[in-house]
Amino acid sequence: MNILRPGKSRTAQSADNSRRSFIWKMGAGASAALVPAVSMAKAEAKEATTTDNPALRAALLEEEKALRKFHQAFEQAMDKGLHEEVIGMFAADTEGAEVVINGGVFRSRSHGVSRLYRDCFPAGKTGRRMEPAPGFELTADQQRDSVEVSPDLRSAKAVFPYSIQVGMPFETETSLAAMARLHGEGVRMWWEGGVYRVNYRKDAARHWKISRLEYDTLSRADYRPGKSYAQPISVSRFATRFPEDQQGPDDLV
Amino acid sequence: MRIPMHRFKYTMLTKEQIGTKLKSAEGGPRSASTFSNVLNGKTLKIVTQNGPTLEYKFAANRRLTLTEGGKQVAAGYGELTLNQMLFFSHLIPGEQKGYNVFIDQKTNLATVFEVWTSSGIKQNAGRPNEFTLDDREVQRQIYFGYVDGGQKAPEKLHHYTNRMTGKGIHWTQDAGIETLELYASVANTNFVELTRHIDDLSYVATSDYVLVDDRTIIYNRTECEFSGIHTCFVTDLYGVKQVGVRFGFNDKDELEYYMFRGDGKVVGQLAYLENFDDHGLRPMFAPAAASAPAGGAAAVPPTGAALPQKGARTTYRPVRSFTHMTDEEMHQAALKMTSAFGGGAAQQAPPQAVATGNNLQFSDILTGKEFTLRFDNGGPVRDYRIKEMFKLQYRDRSDNVWHDADYRAYEGDDNLAWFSHIIADSKPRASVQVAVDFTNGLATSIESHMGTEYYGNETTYHAIFGAVEMPGPSNVEAPLYVRHQLTDELVGHAFSWSYSDQTTSMHIYSSPHSMSWVIFTGAQALGAEWCSPCIYVKLRPGVYIFCQNEEACNGNQMIELLNTKASHDCGFTFNGSARGVSLGVTGAIGRHIGKFDILELYGPKRRNA
Repeated sequence: MNILRPGKSRTAQSADNSRRSFIWKMGAGASAALVPAVSMAKAEAKEATTTDNPALRAALLEEEKALRKFHQAFEQAMDKGLHEEVIGMFAADTEGAEVVINGGVFRSRSHGVSRLYRDCFPAGKTGRRMEPAPGFELTADQQRDSVEVSPDLRSAKAVFPYSIQVGMPFETETSLAAMARLHGEGVRMWWEGGVYRVNYRKDAARHWKISRLEYDTLSRADYRPGKSYAQPISVSRFATRFPEDQQGPDDLV
Repeated sequence: MRIPMHRFKYTMLTKEQIGTKLKSAEGGPRSASTFSNVLNGKTLKIVTQNGPTLEYKFAANRRLTLTEGGKQVAAGYGELTLNQMLFFSHLIPGEQKGYNVFIDQKTNLATVFEVWTSSGIKQNAGRPNEFTLDDREVQRQIYFGYVDGGQKAPEKLHHYTNRMTGKGIHWTQDAGIETLELYASVANTNFVELTRHIDDLSYVATSDYVLVDDRTIIYNRTECEFSGIHTCFVTDLYGVKQVGVRFGFNDKDELEYYMFRGDGKVVGQLAYLENFDDHGLRPMFAPAAASAPAGGAAAVPPTGAALPQKGARTTYRPVRSFTHMTDEEMHQAALKMTSAFGGGAAQQAPPQAVATGNNLQFSDILTGKEFTLRFDNGGPVRDYRIKEMFKLQYRDRSDNVWHDADYRAYEGDDNLAWFSHIIADSKPRASVQVAVDFTNGLATSIESHMGTEYYGNETTYHAIFGAVEMPGPSNVEAPLYVRHQLTDELVGHAFSWSYSDQTTSMHIYSSPHSMSWVIFTGAQALGAEWCSPCIYVKLRPGVYIFCQNEEACNGNQMIELLNTKASHDCGFTFNGSARGVSLGVTGAIGRHIGKFDILELYGPKRRNA
């Protein structure tokens, strides 16, 4: 996300030991330098780490690179409103996929995930990249991205910062709202910043797919580009499940 | 024409009926002015971008042959010139379509309007609210191109523009027709038929604006949802002249197909609020249905996006989704739920039932007061006892029974109370919006109730004037003759009203009895627009009541006190539907956008002169 500052490198000590079967890699430039340090630490822990294997290390780096590219494609598709492409990035129904957003869980690519990106997001003009609201920029820590690939190269976890436009159609029958809808308005919009927490899994064709995506929202503001100031806002979480709410989630969290 | 256009029942002409009527015009349009004769004996090949290639041969007696897509037809045509602009118009026999062609003889650039009837165009296709446009509604598709003389194709063509936005012109045409046209939106026109109609009501028609050069604009409007008639012309803004054509069926279902010349007077210019580097190059109309976002939204198509469907335009068609209720149905709904300011069944009240957004703060100006409002000419006499900020007691002397009612009040100007409440047990359900000037002893009540002769779920209102009597230490000495009164002081003014940071509408007070409102896009271009009758009451210098019912739209009533000194309005909404009747509050921050000098155009003196 070019509007955010590059993330700092995560130290070996900061890696979650409970996840020692994964290799943490942060920031494309930092990754190569960091891997040996991680390997040494692991060696001292008398655990034969997978990174001892140079071929695997190279493979992990390649997968990380692929995942960053994949995420870039995801963000571009969101930015351009190519929601069918976005849906296609999720794991098939047989594999399971879900999106967690604003207190709701949208399950299954052909159902909940499609409903979210085909109906809910376009109706709210949600998902386009947007500069952070002034005064609400994420901290350096919050902007830190990370990609961890499992040693078997079949799954991965990642964290990426986001800064997007989010909106909700006016729920009113007034003529003003109806007229605004005529030219694509009639939507209350705001800015959201946070991090995507993403789980990936390779499908049978060995393509990366998103198995879980969580919008971990850290900040919201009543802001549009060009406005000289921003104010914090609160937004109601999903409270009604589908099908009672035709654009609602499958579950509430 | 006496019946307002939004109330007139235009005949649903069939395709066959239209085809029959069009036969009489295959020889070309009429014109009160002498046709020009530039094209006689010439051949023209017009190449358009994303449109047809039209190859013309013009013969004597205003006859032409057109070859389009390998098919050749012969027809009559009309031709007029304005400066370097050459305009000709013709129909294609048997096809219910024709072309209006504008050629800049200096640059050889051309703008072509394809016009047609019996379109069969479906709106909201595939949705529950799908409907087909009336066959009589003239459609248009605009193509930009050039006259191909074997030269290299020009890189720049005519294009859409916002340069007419905010301008107002009073036109007088060669046949004596006068119109006032306020080009307040990039996609609409607010216009008043000064000679065709008996009332000075303004209406809105969907429009396009095309820039030829800095002084020359091509324009059209189609009276969608009314007669469907189409007016198209090129104007020279230096000389304020026009040549154009009118094509379609009038209220008597007669075919009007004539060309005209006109002289105009610029009556004013509103500011338009787009960024200064936004020249309105992209039109504002609905994209192809396949790309329309859920919820019926449409948008300005981004560069490189698929072309919108042929004929697409931004047209508000509110009556299509307005449900008709009888008076009795409406009253039964009112018995189930009558909500004042969200009380009782707050969850069913409209969002404006709470003082949020940019509304003026509620006032306790009435708290502790007891007074009588005595309205003129045998009007009601009402006593008020008010002990709390949101609850009052009133008694109408006609039944002499005290009623409790929820109310909201503002202080609209110094010592000027503006409040509203429901009339208890009323049938049809009624409310009052009352201005009480405790300084001058004057009172005005907007008496509102559900139901018009057209819909049970529309509101009706009228203003009554009187005085306030308040005994005691703060005794108000009520005048005998001085009264608030209906006014035309606001006519010509335009204000944007921001009800919240998400909702702004510009009001144009376009005639003494009507107004229009325009919605801003995200880029602050003025887009969708509609209109309604209204009244204006003067309370004090700079302080007015403005009252409108969105007739043949959604029936909602808005009754605002406008304080132009503070650029703020505050007031009430009153509406009914199958859910019941609701009295709410509304208010906004205003900006004065400009003024048209149009008052002299209105009134019986002028008409009788």
